[in-house]
Amino acid sequence: MTLIDRDNHQKLYLQLYAILRNKIDSGEWAVDSQMPTEEELCKTYEISKATVRIAIAELARQGYLSRRQGKGTFVCKRVIPEGLAMFTSFKELMLEAGINFTTKVLAQTVIMPIDDLDIKLDIAENKHIIYIKRLRLIDNEPILLQETYMPHNICPLPLLEDLESNSLLEVLEQKCSVKITSVQDYIGIAYLNEEEGRLLGLPEGSAALLLEQFFYSGKNKILYTRSIKRPDRFKFFIELERKQ
Amino acid sequence: MANGKAVKDIMIDVFEFPHIPYWFSLRQAMGIIKKSVLESTKCVRPIVILVFDEKYNLVGTLTQVNILKGMEPQFLKPTTKAQMPEDSLEGLSVLWDSLFSKESAALAEKPVSEIMIPARLFVEQNDPITKAAYLMLHNDLVLLPVLEGKKKLIGVVRMIEVFDEVSNAILNG
Repeated sequence: MTLIDRDNHQKLYLQLYAILRNKIDSGEWAVDSQMPTEEELCKTYEISKATVRIAIAELARQGYLSRRQGKGTFVCKRVIPEGLAMFTSFKELMLEAGINFTTKVLAQTVIMPIDDLDIKLDIAENKHIIYIKRLRLIDNEPILLQETYMPHNICPLPLLEDLESNSLLEVLEQKCSVKITSVQDYIGIAYLNEEEGRLLGLPEGSAALLLEQFFYSGKNKILYTRSIKRPDRFKFFIELERKQ
Repeated sequence: MANGKAVKDIMIDVFEFPHIPYWFSLRQAMGIIKKSVLESTKCVRPIVILVFDEKYNLVGTLTQVNILKGMEPQFLKPTTKAQMPEDSLEGLSVLWDSLFSKESAALAEKPVSEIMIPARLFVEQNDPITKAAYLMLHNDLVLLPVLEGKKKLIGVVRMIEVFDEVSNAILNG
């Protein structure tokens, strides 16, 4: 059993966080299993209650643990916390969270603007749009359905690239030399239609998290993305900092 | 014929034509075709929409005629066995008027894949124009997709340009 190393310069709560996270990642503590109590952890690792609380709070914030009123703390299915910072790509977000994921490209084709897509992308009604529809999976479980729209005249390459292995934003920045400078996020609720429900493994009409993103390069709109996320696998957080 | 010209000499770039996926509805296709006709000076009638699958493979084409046929109330469609006699056409137009707005509105929601003309015939960019003309005439087509390397769709050759080339060759000797 790994113990706290008091000669290590790393803070105690970080060491405990790493130990506990390793138990979850390795499956030693299975999903839905109950965590030892704070007292038990204090005794096992010979640390204070405050240190234990900080480590557990961080694991809960990252979606590894959930607290159930009057029952204790349990290991849970990983919920991905998504900060409203400049996390532009799903790959980036998953790598930061240390999660292995797969992508299934459901469509990678060209369409014309329908509904209000011309307004959303600031293009003429008769301009071609690259349409990419991707399903993201963790451990073969679908968690996110993402539809991306991009004016074809910006760069045709995303139509040809392998987007199951490569990030669309990396393709844009590295191969098309289009630099994303800002992103506008709109968060809401979507009610799944039959197809969305089938793809995400949820009943039709279920509520899901909706994230609409507008990507800019300077003043030009480059992409519009509509992501539907399983509500049990994602949560958004906002970090606010008081101006000094 | 046509001074040995190849398809690539009269081909129109594929992005001069509207693109849609096969799951778009007739209603969506109608909206797109109207915008293209009214706003594009490049697309000369007969306008055609190119229909693609999820992997950007051309699967069919769609004209205004195809769209209208797709919205024709089912029981009004003539069959080869029971053609309407000519003297009943006046009544038919009344029926058509009353039904067009009702049943056709519902039919407009069906996907274009049900009414498009499947893309089965292609020409290569270096093929002679005569080959395109032959395929169009014998298959009653107004356009043919042009491929590069038997795979990549790069353009479209239309009857208008084929006719121009053939007629020039005839008229100019």
